[in-house]
Amino acid sequence: MSAILEVKDLSKRFGGLTATKNVSFSLEPGELTGILGPNGAGKTTLFNLLTGFIAADTGSVLFEGQELRGLAPHKIVNRGVARTFQLTRPFLGMTVLENVVVACLSPRAREAHDKEARAQELLDQVGLGVKAREPVETLPYGDLRRLEIARALATKPDLLLLDEPFAGLGSSEIEPLAQLIKRLHREQKLTILLIEHKLREFMALVSRVIAIDFGEIIAIAPPAEIVRNPRVIEAYIGKTEAAHASA
Amino acid sequence: MKQLSIIDLSGAVVVVALLALAPVLLNSNYFTGVLTVCVIYAIWAASWDFMSGLTGRENFGHSLFIGAGAYTAGFLATAWYANPWYSLPTAVVVAVAFSLIVGFPTLRLRGPYFALAMLSASAIMQRLCLIFWEYSGGEEGLYGLDPLIQSPLHYYWFVLAILVAAVAILTALAQSHWGLLLRAIRGDEATCQAAGINVTFYKIASLTISAAFAGLGGALYAHYQLQVSPPLFSVVVSITVIIMVYVGGIGSIYGPALGAIMLTLLTELLRSFGEYRLWVYTLTLMLILFFLPNGLIAPLWRRLTERFR
Repeated sequence: MSAILEVKDLSKRFGGLTATKNVSFSLEPGELTGILGPNGAGKTTLFNLLTGFIAADTGSVLFEGQELRGLAPHKIVNRGVARTFQLTRPFLGMTVLENVVVACLSPRAREAHDKEARAQELLDQVGLGVKAREPVETLPYGDLRRLEIARALATKPDLLLLDEPFAGLGSSEIEPLAQLIKRLHREQKLTILLIEHKLREFMALVSRVIAIDFGEIIAIAPPAEIVRNPRVIEAYIGKTEAAHASA
Repeated sequence: MKQLSIIDLSGAVVVVALLALAPVLLNSNYFTGVLTVCVIYAIWAASWDFMSGLTGRENFGHSLFIGAGAYTAGFLATAWYANPWYSLPTAVVVAVAFSLIVGFPTLRLRGPYFALAMLSASAIMQRLCLIFWEYSGGEEGLYGLDPLIQSPLHYYWFVLAILVAAVAILTALAQSHWGLLLRAIRGDEATCQAAGINVTFYKIASLTISAAFAGLGGALYAHYQLQVSPPLFSVVVSITVIIMVYVGGIGSIYGPALGAIMLTLLTELLRSFGEYRLWVYTLTLMLILFFLPNGLIAPLWRRLTERFR
């Protein structure tokens, strides 16, 4: 099978800081992959590069064989690459349903005749159906994450990028959200790329991990192997302690 | 989407009926003229609100479209001796062209560029009117326009009908999916983009609609005054419109329209205060905006009718 996403030599500098350096990887259709890395490793920058929110300096991003680099964010969404934000950004002053209807109005999703009905279906799917008519301001944090996912799904993505979906959530909220992501992956054959730095949630969810540090890929391996990778341990725990541990 | 309720519709019918009957009851040409200006300001305020009230991108140069529409009517009348009825469609086209010229480069950007560009564009147009005085008439402007309709009362009704149509069209758009997208843009542009929405397109399109009605109002004003002059492009006009929108209740379309009528009437009623008129007017405004930051008319109407919904 050919790759759905192929990233080649993607680089981005902000002044003297190299945020992303020669990043290359590919995703197979239907894969659930994770991006792992300590805070500031450049995970969100990588997402912003893939989704057009930040312009890359060099490299290419091929999605279903077509170049995404240089396209505006909304065009990339309409090619079938949707994302969520780490900090949820709902449209305030609207109902939960209206928040999803907005995404149902994107060109890729527009063929659905009744936008409200489709938005309701998506909310049911992520478990927010009963809260559809409520003002979005009343939703707790965990529900806002679900809303982000519903809005991303509304654009009919083939590839879904989730930026730290578990950040800031309590353990009672994490497990059901992980179940939701698993279900979407299984039932809709969605290809999912997910950023997380909480190792435990991560390992149970993904089949492959791309580890990043200082904007560079340091390892790509299944979760069980990645935790034993010396460079990953070094990035997370620090060199001296890693040396002690191996001694 | 939100349906227009019976109560809103009956409220609108009562207000329009009162506005239509007022000059008949008062039977004064002076008062009919005041009401005509009120209604034209209402068109300007409602059109400002459609773009800026919904998307939150403040337009500090609405007078650019107003002046463009008015001067279009002026040029048609004085340079080409055209039938005055050609003014209205031509003014719309010219105002839309101006909105595209300013909107394309500035509405792609976030931040204050759009507000500043509109402000400067209107100021530049005001100066150009003075610089090219051979064509524009300079300070004195262009005069000798023909009225569209001879009878002041009939012209007032015509302008009122256009206001009703404008508010109906803009309200329908604001309550449609289109309006939902504009409100989403007001909320968060990045989220809109992540939802696959072409934010720039919707901002520019809503500005052209706003400009079309402003330009139409400009031409109506020109054919009421029977002359046009550079102050039509002035910042004072733009700011006056913005104040009317805030007093009426931003984002509601009908609120700004009624706010414009109320404030224009207030200016006239305060004439008895003589030299203290501006003091009283400004104090009233400050009190309204201080105690009712969301505006007076639309929030009041919502509260009054809450229990009947």
